[in-house]
Amino acid sequence: MTTRRVLILAPVLLILVLLQSYFWVPTYEQQTRGNPERLDKYIIGSIGDASILNPILSADSASSNIEDMVFEGLIDRDEQLRFRGRLATSWDVYEEAFFYVNESFSIPGLGKASPQEVADYIKEAKKKGDETWPGLRDSLDSITEISVIPPRNFSVIRHEKDPNNGKKKKDIKISVAAAAGIKLVLNRVDQGLFQNLSLLLGNDYFESFQGEDYLRTEPRLGKEKLAAYADELLPAFEHNPTLMFHLRPGVKFHDGHLFDAYDVKFTYESIMNPKNLSPRIADYEPVKTVKVIDPLTIKIVYKRLYSPAIGTWGMGILPEHLLNEQALKKEALRLGKDSDTFSMRQSTFSRKPVGCGPFRFREWKSDQYIALDRFDDYWEGPPNYKGYIFRVIADLLTQEMEFYAGTIDSYSVQPHQVKRLEKDPRFQSFSGIAFGYTYIGYNIRRKPFDDPRIRRALGMAIDIDKILNYVLYGQGKRITGPFVKQTDYYNHNIEPIPYDPKGALALLEAAGWKRNKAGWLEKDGERLKFTLITNSGNDLRKAILAIAQDAWKQIGIDVRTDLLEWSVFIQERVNKADFDALILGWQMGIDPDLYQIWHSSQTNPYQLNFVGFKNHEADDLIIKIRQEYDHDQQAEYCHRLHEIIAEEQPYTFLYVGKWTAVLDKRIVIKKVDDAGNVRYEKIKPTKTGSYSFHFNRWIKLPEAPILLDEG
Amino acid sequence: MISFIGRSAIQKIITLFFVSIVSFLIIHLAPGEPGQVDPMNPKFTPEVVERFKKEFHLDKPLHVQYLYFYQNLLTGKTVSWKDNQPVLKKIWERFLNSLPLFIVGTILTWTLSFPVGIRSAIFRGRLYDRSATFLSYLLISIPGFFFAYILIILVVTHFHVPVIGMETFGIGDASVLHIFMDRIWHLILPSVLGATGGIAVLSRYVRSQMLEVEGQDYVRTARAKGLPTEQVYYKHALRNALLPFVTMFGLILPGLIGGSVIIESIFSWPGMGRMAYEAILARDYPVILTVNFASAVLVLAGTFISDLLYLVVDPRIRL
Repeated sequence: MTTRRVLILAPVLLILVLLQSYFWVPTYEQQTRGNPERLDKYIIGSIGDASILNPILSADSASSNIEDMVFEGLIDRDEQLRFRGRLATSWDVYEEAFFYVNESFSIPGLGKASPQEVADYIKEAKKKGDETWPGLRDSLDSITEISVIPPRNFSVIRHEKDPNNGKKKKDIKISVAAAAGIKLVLNRVDQGLFQNLSLLLGNDYFESFQGEDYLRTEPRLGKEKLAAYADELLPAFEHNPTLMFHLRPGVKFHDGHLFDAYDVKFTYESIMNPKNLSPRIADYEPVKTVKVIDPLTIKIVYKRLYSPAIGTWGMGILPEHLLNEQALKKEALRLGKDSDTFSMRQSTFSRKPVGCGPFRFREWKSDQYIALDRFDDYWEGPPNYKGYIFRVIADLLTQEMEFYAGTIDSYSVQPHQVKRLEKDPRFQSFSGIAFGYTYIGYNIRRKPFDDPRIRRALGMAIDIDKILNYVLYGQGKRITGPFVKQTDYYNHNIEPIPYDPKGALALLEAAGWKRNKAGWLEKDGERLKFTLITNSGNDLRKAILAIAQDAWKQIGIDVRTDLLEWSVFIQERVNKADFDALILGWQMGIDPDLYQIWHSSQTNPYQLNFVGFKNHEADDLIIKIRQEYDHDQQAEYCHRLHEIIAEEQPYTFLYVGKWTAVLDKRIVIKKVDDAGNVRYEKIKPTKTGSYSFHFNRWIKLPEAPILLDEG
Repeated sequence: MISFIGRSAIQKIITLFFVSIVSFLIIHLAPGEPGQVDPMNPKFTPEVVERFKKEFHLDKPLHVQYLYFYQNLLTGKTVSWKDNQPVLKKIWERFLNSLPLFIVGTILTWTLSFPVGIRSAIFRGRLYDRSATFLSYLLISIPGFFFAYILIILVVTHFHVPVIGMETFGIGDASVLHIFMDRIWHLILPSVLGATGGIAVLSRYVRSQMLEVEGQDYVRTARAKGLPTEQVYYKHALRNALLPFVTMFGLILPGLIGGSVIIESIFSWPGMGRMAYEAILARDYPVILTVNFASAVLVLAGTFISDLLYLVVDPRIRL
């Protein structure tokens, strides 16, 4: 019967055709034998694809992973996390300071003085080297140049909302007749300069300068508005920290074009260009001017003291000749798009970038891979690997399977997988402390969390070591404050809060909370109760939620818990500060600037200090830290700030996670000395926990070598 | 006939209009914002967010956004927010990747479920039928992702061959035949997984259809006049039992665009389903809505085609 035969034969044949393909597929061993090029390629697995390969436009980690390979910044961080020159060979940090001369003010020992007299007076004091105030002496010693700026006139036009009609805007013309001023050039950045100078010039010398007196507006404005404009246009004094970068000569972009200072300037201008919608615009807002001194020297002047600004020059430098206005116009014309609205964002550059990093771009297949080739003209010498391939594998287990099949060299390995893999003789594994911490935050605006004793007691009731052991399988470390643990900003003298439920009860009692007959804590007949929330979808936080609830219930606190979907959690609860206590985590940068998360001005809805932490001394330190350019001084301020935060306990700091990585043992560091002798070394993580720091020297060998330094 | 086609086309356009409104609303009313305007991202200042909103018309009222979107879609100008690529081009590329998976999966489903189902009907109540039933329910109830992991772990740890992706990664310079076979190998697991559920369900249908037809008078007549059993089953019964499957055949069309989110994600297959899934995670509205709209069109087209097919194969139906 034909129908029957067809019905049975068709599926059998189909299955046979499919299955025979197995004999054509390379297995693990054959792959390296038949395809020796595999050893020259480093393949990394990633969950997500990159989005846009332009360092000034991207904001996701996958994109920045590729950009780090393709682009190069002026500086980066070395093994000790200190700045190190890349495209810049060296740089000077100094300051130009400026103040307006208040001719009506009587200076002690000089009387009312003209600008020239004030300048001479400062010069005199500098020469004398009076030891009365050491701070003043240091400030004067650092001055290298004093000059008088003659008075000048200028006018600006501002738009302001019409108070009668909210939608209409009106123009305000402001004419400024600025007084004469004095410009000081220092050989360092000195945030105490004007404070010290006021010892010399009189206590309120700078406060007494009234900017309003030099302004005229059309139409006339109220006093408050006028004062605001005066502050903006004529501040009594100004710090202009200055960075002078000396660039590396002879560095080439991947297309052979020479890199110079104009590329740096162009990168800055592209970030600031509103047409490009760069997410990094806020980082560069403090920049006042960028000036090319010569093709290998660039001077960056800042509007105010802002030390995190130095780190922003690690930004990958764009090639001006491929992205400037003419180039974009040409591209728009070629693609048949409107050249007026065409910006860097639409340019195909973001899909095939050109930089001066160690690897050059080859190919990008969306959601599959991005392939890079080694750049032979790299200024530091080409990397050992011939290719770098970024593979997108959306699933963790699949990544592990591909790792076993030898088709990826590295993937984001999970803690429990490390346990399994570190015993395998085929692999080497690394681990270190990560840059993010998890905490329980309390809404300090609400009772009873306004009392630091309560917050401390809540922390003491939780056995954090248990969380580390049983929730994190030991893949975490205690943390006591908001700084990155492996930097010297972190204060290692601070002891973590002990696990001590009895002590917690004593503290609560001191605050007026006593246990009633049923065992609940009570004050004035009211039970101590609140809700602890976190976002759903994070199993670690969910486990901590249950542990904290249980620990607090045991000392008699009535705790409810709630898991909320991420966007609801953020938009409805966190942003509107509508919560009692929550579990969240922060990802930290190396820079110690804590302004957004801890300063009291950031406690409004939609800002990041959502716990409402306010402390006068802390505010002061936060500002000082971001204004200080001297590393050791900065670290000192950070230690004190860390102390205050640990004292106040606005968060119960839980732990900082560990990162882990696994590599094939055949991957080693290859070093060639001047005589041409090749030496292989085992890969070792740096002190600060970066195992891929020497990536450019890595190579995969056909056989795992026996290394001398292994024993 | 023509009036039927005309009427049905008008009905479908009206349905499509409502689908477009509802899907647009659902996506915009769901919590969460596109990644580019996420207020929690400390990299973005409020001004930047504001500018993004303006650029994407997110500051306009919903009905205006709706008009902007469908105007762009119908003129083919929609671009993805994630990477500024034209959406239609993206979808077409991904569609070509999903196509082989879909074809092999469908062929497997339809070729396997008929013999299995028919045999079950013939030997109903016996060991073969019972074990087939048991297996079918097992396959229906086992979660696809779980089954996929088990198969992958088995294959990789026992045979040491890569199974992820469309081809062995970095296969590079191998011969055309090698590459072709390699691709077929990579097709097997995902398409088998995609087909299992279908085989289980469809073979049940085949079985019950056969049983129903078996009780009909003409089958008894065929038996009574002494035809061989095989001919009774495969000629008289099967032909009539096939009728409902014509309808189902039209309904597999939407599967073309939906792809399989889970299987494509697990096997990191760069197909349609995975693109749609990632678009949802990134709140990439243009991509989500376009995929949504296209699948609505396909569903309607599918039902239309199955109506027509029915008309052709069943002489009892006349319009």
